[in-house]
Amino acid sequence: MTENAISLRNISKSYRTGLRRKRKTAVEDLSLEVRAGEIFGLLGPNGAGKTTTIKVLLGIVFPEGGSGSLLGEPLGGRAAHDRLGFLPEQPYFYGFLTAEKGLELYGKFFGLDRASLRQRSGELLDLVGLSAGNHLTLDKYSKGMLQRFGIAQALLNDPELVVMDEPSSGLDPVGQKEVRDILVHLKELGKTIFLSSHQLSEVENICDSVTIVNRGRSVKEGNLSDLLAARGLTRITLKGGGPDAAERLGQVSPQVSRQGEETLLDVEGVRVFQALEAAKDLGMELVSVKPYQQSLEELFLETIRETSA
Amino acid sequence: MRNIAYIAINVVKDAARRKIFYVVFLFGLAVVALSPLLPTFEMGARAQFLRDVSLSLTALFGVVLAVILSVGQIPGEIDRRTIYNVLSKPVSRLQYMAGKYLGVIAALAGILAVMGLEVLVLIYVRLGVFTPVVFQGVFAVFLESAVIAAFCLALSTFATVPVNVFATVLFYLVCHVKTGFLHEKLVEGATGFVRVFSWSLYYVIPNLENFNVSLQVGYGGGVPATQMLRITAYALMFIAIFLIIGYLVFRRRDL
Ligand SMILES: Nc1ncnc2c1ncn2[C@@H]1O[C@H](COP(=O)(O)OP(=O)(O)O)[C@@H](O)[C@H]1O
Ligand SMILES: [Mg+2]
Repeated sequence: MTENAISLRNISKSYRTGLRRKRKTAVEDLSLEVRAGEIFGLLGPNGAGKTTTIKVLLGIVFPEGGSGSLLGEPLGGRAAHDRLGFLPEQPYFYGFLTAEKGLELYGKFFGLDRASLRQRSGELLDLVGLSAGNHLTLDKYSKGMLQRFGIAQALLNDPELVVMDEPSSGLDPVGQKEVRDILVHLKELGKTIFLSSHQLSEVENICDSVTIVNRGRSVKEGNLSDLLAARGLTRITLKGGGPDAAERLGQVSPQVSRQGEETLLDVEGVRVFQALEAAKDLGMELVSVKPYQQSLEELFLETIRETSA
Repeated sequence: MRNIAYIAINVVKDAARRKIFYVVFLFGLAVVALSPLLPTFEMGARAQFLRDVSLSLTALFGVVLAVILSVGQIPGEIDRRTIYNVLSKPVSRLQYMAGKYLGVIAALAGILAVMGLEVLVLIYVRLGVFTPVVFQGVFAVFLESAVIAAFCLALSTFATVPVNVFATVLFYLVCHVKTGFLHEKLVEGATGFVRVFSWSLYYVIPNLENFNVSLQVGYGGGVPATQMLRITAYALMFIAIFLIIGYLVFRRRDL
């Protein structure tokens, strides 16, 4: 028994497309581990293979290579499916149902009886901010409302693991914040959350660990705070200096940028004095020296840039 | 197993929502429109004519409905991505397919039963005779439609809707005319490849003419129970074959 809620090992998947059925790689040799009880983020730009990875995980598509387990069960089976909830990307549901009827239908697949189903539906619609007793059918829902309904139906069976493909896409900033709060709440209840995203601001504060994928490959992984702390830099803000100041400073650290009057120099701790001396030699004026933590977004963009080259 | 029932019920509800059950009115109109064409000979012949013609019409409706009901079930859910919400629940692909098929069959059975009733009433009103024997004919039509539905649903696990409609219609036609043709080939004593080929086709392709009992029902004598049993078993065999092939494809298909 592993304590991992999910593990994928060396998963590869390609699709045949076009008239000539050419193979196009969607995921290549991807491995990842999700510990029970954490919020895990699978991050990557559009087309990186996030949705494909999730579909492999849930047995919706079949990988060409690799293996894995889902809640202790081998991939591709159904044995774990009564303990997980899934929110598909841009979810769509039977359009002729109201939210309550929809939850009733999906709940039946988990063997919930009518009474507990009704109570659960009420709670979930409350949780996601859809009012019960709303007689709108799902085909008249806005994108954001569908997303909320999708989250509700993913939680019907009080799952151990919730898998969400781009959970806050289509939501406005308020809605995104609400989704984040729901995810944190679920984590507090001891659930494991696997989410994918290309919008980093939405996951930065809540993910415990992340895997960044680009072009189907895993390019960076780890504990989020470690990833960001390892990149802990000191930002030196300077003023003045000649026209070749930036170039000279670039020899100390490649991360030089200009912001209006000021020159920003991000350096590793051991190089702070060296940088300050160089700045002094250039006759620059010191504005500030501050510890600087890279944001996930910057880490992400940098990683993607490096691995797309 | 309850999952199969939920999926089947949803197929029927969806058919209701698409107003497919209204075809019974269309059918009613069609049989009423046929009745003025009645030849003016004696009573028995008129009843025979009505039974025969309305059964043929029922068979036509049955086949068209079988295609309409089955063809979009799986591709439609894949296109609209509603299938993910079902298959991510503890629902297996086998249950999903079985539920879809049973739902189609249930809807067909309901519609055909009402059509049979309409024929019964029409004949009673027009000619004053009560001929429940038409239900034997309707049941045979149901069996044939069920075979067509199984074929179409199985094909829908990999074929697009237009290709599927084309192939199913072709299948239907071939299965109706092939008997006479192949039999001639065999009886004429074809040799070599042609003989082997036509023999195997003769047994592999279902002979849908077996489900055509409209003449027997027309004469009013009815169909012997042994024959009904035989055609039921015959239908079940092909339904099983088609659904198993369809499932084997669907089981490993990327969605
Ligand atoms: N059903 C499919 N058929 C063919 N190609 C696909 C299919 N699904 C995804 N792809 C391709 O696989 C790659 C990864 O897609 P996807 O997993 O959806 O990425 P993401 O979710 O990260 O945006 C993309 O290049 C996409 O075009
Ligand atoms: Mg995606």
